[in-house]
Amino acid sequence: MRTDEELLQMYYEGSHDAFKDIFQRRKTEVFNFALRFLGNRADAEDVTSDVFLQLFSKKYTADGSARLSTWLFTVARNASISRLRSQKFQVSFWSKSQNGNEYEAWEPADTAELTPELMKKKEEAALVQKAISALPEEQREAIILREYHEKNYAEISEILGCSLEKTKILIFRARETLRVELAQFIKGGQI
Amino acid sequence: MSDHQWKILVSAYADNELAPKDIASVELLLKENAEAREYLAELRRLSSHMRINVTEQPSPDLDHKILATIQREEKSMKPQTKRTMQYATVAASVLIVVLAANNYFFAGHSLTRGNPLHPTVMVNVPVSPVMTGALSPAKVEQRSVALDAEKAKKIYVNNGSVMAEAARVFDAFSGSRMKSATDDIGEQYTSRMPNAAVSLRDGTKSLGNTLQYEPYYTNAVAINSPSVPLVQVGEANTEEYASIEESRFLESAQNPLSTFSIDVDTGSYTNLRRYLTSNQLPPKDAIRIEEMINYFSYDYPKPEGDEPFSVTTKAAVCPWNADHRLILIGLKGKTPDVSKLPPSNLTFLLDVSGSMQSPDKLPLIQQAFTMMVRQLRDQDKVAIVVYAGAERVALESTPGTEKEVIISAIQSLMAGGSTAGGAGIKKAYAIAKENFIPNGNNRVILATDGDFNVGVSSTSEMTRLIEEKRNEGIFLTVIGVGSDGNLKDGRLEQIADKGNGSYYYFDSLQEAKKVFMTELGSTLFTIAKDVKIQVEFNPSAVKAYRLIGYENRKLNKEDFNDDKKDAGEIGAGHTVTALYEIIPAGSAEKTADVDALKYQKAETVKSDEMLTLKLRYKEPKEDTSKLITKVLNKTEIKDAPQGDFAFAASVAEMGMLLRHSEFKGTSTYDQVLQMGKAAKGDDKFGYREEFIRLVETAQALDVSNSGGMQFK
Repeated sequence: MRTDEELLQMYYEGSHDAFKDIFQRRKTEVFNFALRFLGNRADAEDVTSDVFLQLFSKKYTADGSARLSTWLFTVARNASISRLRSQKFQVSFWSKSQNGNEYEAWEPADTAELTPELMKKKEEAALVQKAISALPEEQREAIILREYHEKNYAEISEILGCSLEKTKILIFRARETLRVELAQFIKGGQI
Repeated sequence: MSDHQWKILVSAYADNELAPKDIASVELLLKENAEAREYLAELRRLSSHMRINVTEQPSPDLDHKILATIQREEKSMKPQTKRTMQYATVAASVLIVVLAANNYFFAGHSLTRGNPLHPTVMVNVPVSPVMTGALSPAKVEQRSVALDAEKAKKIYVNNGSVMAEAARVFDAFSGSRMKSATDDIGEQYTSRMPNAAVSLRDGTKSLGNTLQYEPYYTNAVAINSPSVPLVQVGEANTEEYASIEESRFLESAQNPLSTFSIDVDTGSYTNLRRYLTSNQLPPKDAIRIEEMINYFSYDYPKPEGDEPFSVTTKAAVCPWNADHRLILIGLKGKTPDVSKLPPSNLTFLLDVSGSMQSPDKLPLIQQAFTMMVRQLRDQDKVAIVVYAGAERVALESTPGTEKEVIISAIQSLMAGGSTAGGAGIKKAYAIAKENFIPNGNNRVILATDGDFNVGVSSTSEMTRLIEEKRNEGIFLTVIGVGSDGNLKDGRLEQIADKGNGSYYYFDSLQEAKKVFMTELGSTLFTIAKDVKIQVEFNPSAVKAYRLIGYENRKLNKEDFNDDKKDAGEIGAGHTVTALYEIIPAGSAEKTADVDALKYQKAETVKSDEMLTLKLRYKEPKEDTSKLITKVLNKTEIKDAPQGDFAFAASVAEMGMLLRHSEFKGTSTYDQVLQMGKAAKGDDKFGYREEFIRLVETAQALDVSNSGGMQFK
């Protein structure tokens, strides 16, 4: 299996197939980051396509420090933040995220598939997402990268462009808030 | 500890992100404090609940969007073919050739006098852009272009340099660069413009050379001026060499003064070695005979007294022309006591762009520099700047007491990305300046395959910077690497020259060892700078003379006494050798055909001297030059060269053969081998033996110079 770097090199030498490979390999995690950060699929897809179009235009350079995955997350994060800034009303953002339907726009509408457990899970997932979306951006980014993408603090610091100490604190604060928001699920020994 | 504080620690502990010293105290806390334990448990439950959110898949829309963009890109590449046909037609009315800016471009070498050129040219037009750092050449299509017969004559007369309405043709090519939705507006990843290559043919027989233009650089300068290097290119290869117009014989009566700057670069020899060891003949312009000769060290006497070098002169019968004579001038630099050498402030400037990935590039550099670092002293210090898409300080200035730190920084480098050489150099000089050691050895050592994309105006800017820094006491040594056709030999040699440094080409770890271990002292420590030689020949002894090599080191006679004119430098222990081929007075041989002067009568002073050799040099930190004068008397020269002189002569002969020099006389590879073997001497490091092997290889490859069937 080729590394990201090998595929990139092949792409630089002209292989579009190599680019397609990188895209397929990495699109899901980039999409998920954007999804969790922005709370809705449409925006998340836009951000994901932005990120890969930038990669396609060779905006990524490996100068020996940033790995491709770090770069992808950094660009995704920046694109997501710009998107937030440019959104006219915070209200519309909230309503989007509150509307759980956005989340499942493409899923099979066959509700017979949805068992009660699954439904419960989906409700909880929506609530978790809501709580995450309510976090201040920096805390949101940090906790998403930690919990969903399992990045270590060093990588998170690199992506966010802040110090290790700050990353530690952001994660702590996010957790403080989420503990309260999601208390119904985590208090008192519930698994 | 406050509530806040221990919770932060526990949160980090849950992520395994605590420093070892903190882990112990947190574990103690957890053991003793129930609240803390509950907190940790909550964090863990929180984490698992958050992960309830399954990984979502993007919709097929996303795929469509990206694939559509890729397809658009692919489609927009097709019109290339149509456009290139148009350009080919344009080229038809034009002579081909390009050229340009300070450092590039081509010239047909194999055009030797006497080869009439059939006026047809095949143009190789690329159909996809060549990416900077790409390991494979662009795909090309061939188009045949008819040359103007009148202009064809120009090729012939100008000794291979081809004039053209190049700018027009190549602007046209520039315009054919792919325009796409993802057209790069940033500088981070630049793709090179399509290279148009031209191969010259005689009817259907290819003369084997391609001319290649790199339209990335678009400044046009006067064509065919000696200071504009022209590039010789092999097969779809973007290596660049400055073209060399060989020195001719000059009559001493008309041109009594021969002035040049010394040169201790050896890049040309190692580069030539690289070609021959891969069983290829090197391009003609890659051969700088003075660098070949100076690769080897010669046993000249050590300097005595205050002068930093000794001067030796010898004379012998010319091995390739019995009617001519050979004069040798040899300098030997002093070898100071190592402990007395000043501390070094070194800044390594390493190219880590994508093209440096191959094993004969960055990995070789890493090994070489590691070797070098091991030899530094406590008082030396090293900083490392790397450059690819951007420049970065990989290691702040670190003293020789921490060699492992330096080595680990070197070992951890990786290649990838485009090249932004200009910014890297500025950074490296800034770091060198920051860590400047007054009276020390302050040097930037650049290692690259030469792929310096510094943008249109920056080449001269970079040269100015290098010169400015040189004047501030920071010298530049350049190491070239790579055998994939990317080496920008001419440019690298030139910038080393501007930086009062030398240029080396590492074709192997052996060479790195020579430069960075065995001869590290010479490489790093300059004992004399701006060293110039001026020879005055006595016309009553010497009818005409020819300096072998040093073509791109020639100086005007006024430059000799002008201390503002930059020249080469000598490192500790270096030897420098220059050879003159002489036509003795009284010879009937005709050289140049210049009319006698009308207003000046030639009157030669009576003298028993053959020539006077003058040398000017400056102490490394001074700006005023000192003069050394030496005289060579007329002597009866009957003998062939001996010892080191013979070896130097054999190297020169080899160089002339490889260059197909018109002055090679009766040179043959056999003669080179004979002289070389006889003069091998001690050969402590085996360099001369290696030379002999290379000559044998060249003999086998070079059918044009070998005299037909050979018998054992």
